[in-house]
Amino acid sequence: MKERFKSIRLTNVVIVAAIFLLCMLIPSQTSSYMLRVLNIAMITYLCVLSVYVLLGMCGQNSFAQAGLWGIGAYITANVVMKLGYSSITAFIISVIGTALFTFVIGFAFFRLRMYYFTFATVGLMTILNGLFMNWKEATGGALGISNIPEFRVGGFVANTETSKYFVILATVVLISLSLKFLFHSPLGRSFMAIRDNEIAANCLGINSLLTKSIAFAISGALCGAAGALYAFLSGYLSYQSFTYQQSTMYLIMIMLGGTISPVGAVIGTLIISLLQEWVRPLQNYMQLIYGAGIMILMIVQPEGILGGGKVIYDKYIKPKKTSTKNG
Amino acid sequence: MTSTLNPKKPVLKMDNVCKNFGGVIAADKIALELYGGEIFGLIGPNGAGKTTLLNLITGIYQSDDGEMFLLDKNITKVPTHRRARLGIARTFQHPRLLNRCDIKTNILMGSDLANKRKIKGGKLEEDMNMLLKCAGLQNVNLSDSIEKLSYGQQKMLEIVRALLCEPAVLLLDEPAAGLNTKEMDYIVALIKVAVQKDIAVLLIEHAMDLVMGICDRLTVLNFGHQIATGTPTEIQSNEEVIKAYLGGSCNVKS
Ligand SMILES: Nc1ncnc2c1ncn2[C@@H]1O[C@H](COP(=O)(O)OP(=O)(O)OP(=O)(O)O)[C@@H](O)[C@H]1O
Ligand SMILES: [Mg+2]
Repeated sequence: MKERFKSIRLTNVVIVAAIFLLCMLIPSQTSSYMLRVLNIAMITYLCVLSVYVLLGMCGQNSFAQAGLWGIGAYITANVVMKLGYSSITAFIISVIGTALFTFVIGFAFFRLRMYYFTFATVGLMTILNGLFMNWKEATGGALGISNIPEFRVGGFVANTETSKYFVILATVVLISLSLKFLFHSPLGRSFMAIRDNEIAANCLGINSLLTKSIAFAISGALCGAAGALYAFLSGYLSYQSFTYQQSTMYLIMIMLGGTISPVGAVIGTLIISLLQEWVRPLQNYMQLIYGAGIMILMIVQPEGILGGGKVIYDKYIKPKKTSTKNG
Repeated sequence: MTSTLNPKKPVLKMDNVCKNFGGVIAADKIALELYGGEIFGLIGPNGAGKTTLLNLITGIYQSDDGEMFLLDKNITKVPTHRRARLGIARTFQHPRLLNRCDIKTNILMGSDLANKRKIKGGKLEEDMNMLLKCAGLQNVNLSDSIEKLSYGQQKMLEIVRALLCEPAVLLLDEPAAGLNTKEMDYIVALIKVAVQKDIAVLLIEHAMDLVMGICDRLTVLNFGHQIATGTPTEIQSNEEVIKAYLGGSCNVKS
């Protein structure tokens, strides 16, 4: 038993080391165009992770995540350009601001039962997009906001694609690790209790409205962080990025990867982001490919690629148990 | 908290509680008093309103009339989650576990509530192992998913989870239904633990041997109406009960 534990530990260390090395090597091995694709993919991953928290953990589906991402981005742009605050402050204000906004919205929306929350988020997405397009003072209206300064802290300025890559990577890793804590915390468990059985959750002292609102707020915080990073990365914001279609894309990504763990978000985001680049010639058919692909996947393996992988692992690779004492 | 109670004072008190579903009377002027460390039986034919009563106590249904008190606090209008935090724990007729979580997570849900209620858990590991042993679950792998458990084991796990909440009142909805005799012994062992902890146990059960064997008092429901309340001996000799339930035309599910 102990030996197995050790061997698992060892493989984990090796895997983490390999991934770390890979992440360090990527910038020197890829074109700056490809690096830009990866940077966007990592930002997208944060939004998909927000869907993981809300849908995967708490069982609530939102179509407004791209709108929340937009809120984060516009907050950063305004705080940096109009108020002249530092990058870090802008990032933090984006995260907290988006989380607060989402919490209040959640508190209002989650009074609705069942799937009506999801319906309400469709409305929210539409309103936010309209706001981004028309609120000239804050979003630059249809022209958008350009020349957003780069991310800087102390003497360090993230003005190359590679330096941006490391800033985003560090944020993404930090956020992913804190999600691991959330997963094993009483709060994380209360999300999963709501997802699996709301009545049982209530009978275990969990307040549905508050807990769902907190889950929505955390997902908002993730989108806010993604938005701030995006503002620094691209230097230009347009309402056309923060659309209903983009929200749907996040859902497609998590459906593809699987909702059982954050790893599903990584897999789904990577596959679709890279696919979009590699099959550019087929762009006109992309929607068709996604649509058909998702339909087939949902029939064959509703838990996504990760779920399929788990089935194979349990069947063929997982060591047969000998002792079953509270492992 | 529960152990310092004056034994004369009811932990849970229901007064004149009524519930009506579109003309079907599921609870008719229910009056009950549960005491700490007591096993109180609730029997009655199918559709008599037993589960409804638990739903009223936990606040899943709102009562049409009447009042409920938990340790002198009026809980009639208190929402479900707050009642749980005040010390009402329950199991369900069909187990309601977190199906996509592992066994450990399910168990921790119980101790999370105890922690929220600021009831010193401290020796969680010890408590958990003791309860798992009583439930005959000491050999399960805690990182397994719920689907690996048998129906009986799932019901047992639900009781373990409820006990880890350190409740003042434990409501059990047909814990022994569908179980074999060995599993029934585990249920009895778990109920005994609850009694030792001075918890007031409300037990809904169709298995008459079990009910008559372990209950201190019981009440018989028929069409939402309490037709008799008393000790097992009193109930068994009550004519109205015999007519309506025990020996009468009504089919007793075993
Ligand atoms: N949510 C509901 N809506 C409408 N009627 C209900 C509802 N819940 C229960 N009832 C009705 O209330 C009555 C009592 O049902 P209840 O489930 O409490 O019976 P029970 O004593 O638990 O029966 P069983 O032994 O079969 O579990 C039944 O007539 C049932 O149809
Ligand atoms: Mg019932």
